[in-house]
Amino acid sequence: MSDINAQLAEIPAAESGGQGTVKDFLALLKPRVMSLVIFTAFVGLVAAPGTLHPWLAFVALLAIAVGAGAAGALNMWYDADIDAVMKRTAKRPVPAGAVTPSEALGFGMVLAAGSVLVLGLLVNVLAGALLAFTIFFYIAIYTMWLKRLTPQNIVIGGAAGAFPPMVGWVSVTGSVDLGSIALFLIIFTWTPPHFWALALWKKINEDYSRAGVPMLPVVAGAGETRRQILLYSLLLFPVTLFPALTGTVGWLYLAANTGLGLVFIWHAWRVYSLREGQEAEIACKKLFGFSTMWLFVVFALILAERAVGIPSFAPVLG
Amino acid sequence: MKDAMTNTPFGPEDMARRKKRAIAMAVILAALVVLFFVTTVVRLGGSVAMRSL
Repeated sequence: MSDINAQLAEIPAAESGGQGTVKDFLALLKPRVMSLVIFTAFVGLVAAPGTLHPWLAFVALLAIAVGAGAAGALNMWYDADIDAVMKRTAKRPVPAGAVTPSEALGFGMVLAAGSVLVLGLLVNVLAGALLAFTIFFYIAIYTMWLKRLTPQNIVIGGAAGAFPPMVGWVSVTGSVDLGSIALFLIIFTWTPPHFWALALWKKINEDYSRAGVPMLPVVAGAGETRRQILLYSLLLFPVTLFPALTGTVGWLYLAANTGLGLVFIWHAWRVYSLREGQEAEIACKKLFGFSTMWLFVVFALILAERAVGIPSFAPVLG
Repeated sequence: MKDAMTNTPFGPEDMARRKKRAIAMAVILAALVVLFFVTTVVRLGGSVAMRSL
């Protein structure tokens, strides 16, 4: 017994593990990302046609949230090397030495398997399978493969972030309908202009250059990034109105988002046209701030319509 | 028991962290028990009362 203790004492604490606090393990779950996932998944649950027992809806949300947390932990496990050289992420539990990579991996895998099983067995199998695919997509396709390979990494990462409302929807209906694809497309198209505006404003490109991650502003330059921000913002306008064609939303959503979509395009145009000086920086900051609020309002409008009882349009598609 | 504790390579801070992690695990496991129990009741619904004996 004493021999084992002597051997354990010789292993540096950071390597042997067991140093992490409960707070460190919670940080591995990326709570801020998780809160957005819970909100969008909840909207998916509410927007879906049909009903689900409130307790099962709670279980579905819990499983989706834990699945998102698992993806966050696995992302921090794999990206520990680049997190360590970036200011924004250097204090995360793994690069800071509070949690070992193997602890993060084990934690993430257990939560991923647990959340998929709970959703698949207690709610419905397709929802569980879709959650499993979401975690696989985020870790294997985005984090391990394409994040370090292509400047379109944000577009691919955006797809992973767009799945939660679809998983929420499928938890109710048991099928992937056009309505759920419409919600997916909104987040998918919103992510690039939102994140690239932040990249241009906060000048986090230096961090990514040091880490060797080919972010679009680093690889293609600020001009091309501004052009793509404008293109995605133009595309986002019709995409946001797509739920009206699938019979998911009513007049309030359509009216409000027609106005909000035009404001989004105006902000994107300002980012595109103002290239130099403080004005250009402010334009990026304003687009980032507006786009954050925009996504919340778009999804909150769906909830508001259900709460007030505004009827959805008859579906033209689907 | 006391000897084992004094021989341990873990200091008081390590032990405090371990204790907090153990409590968190216990709470999560208890919550899972409640989760599975209530879900079973919800999914069975009225079928339990209606079954033929």
